[in-house]
Amino acid sequence: MSSDPVVEAYKAGIDRTLIRENLKLTVEERFRKAMELARFADELKRAGREYRSRPK
Amino acid sequence: MTNFESLLAALGSHGVAFIVVGGAAAIAHGSSRLTQDLDIVYARDPENLRQLADALASYQPYLRGVPAGLPFTLDRSALARGLNFTLVTSLGDIDLLGEIPGGGTYEDLVVDAIGLDIFGTRCLCLSLSQLIRAKRAAGRPKDLEALAELEAIEEEDR
Repeated sequence: MSSDPVVEAYKAGIDRTLIRENLKLTVEERFRKAMELARFADELKRAGREYRSRPK
Repeated sequence: MTNFESLLAALGSHGVAFIVVGGAAAIAHGSSRLTQDLDIVYARDPENLRQLADALASYQPYLRGVPAGLPFTLDRSALARGLNFTLVTSLGDIDLLGEIPGGGTYEDLVVDAIGLDIFGTRCLCLSLSQLIRAKRAAGRPKDLEALAELEAIEEEDR
């Protein structure tokens, strides 16, 4: 348990199922997953920019 | 998007003495938080500065957030004059850190760092307890949130 109540408050909101799934992966698989997520995040940002630039 | 695989391969193939820290180290330990860059602590001896500059030379390293066109070349003397460099490269963003709060220099960290094979490159990475100490010391709001996840990982991994 953390000695910092702010950290404990943040911890309550953490999805531990994601952690458990990540811990089943190899380090390399964790990095590949992170890069896929980053690629997806970039694509979402691009789509959002495109949407905002459309004439209203 | 940062190409962790190619950046690590570039550093590894040039024999750079470095330790993966920050968000990438957190990913190695099981974090699900997105990180935009590769943070490393590097050894400051002259030979390593040369190797580090050589490793990144092919990837157009330039200071991140600085207007284009300034006369900046990442070479051994530039690295020797500074300590921490936030760079953009053609492989993505990389932060070169001479030391980190709560951890110190390469020489301070290397004793307890863990060895990992990532994409075929043998790397040193902060241990989970080192990473937790560094996040505690950094103390920014975003670090507290990251710290909560790292402590949860430590609890889940027991």
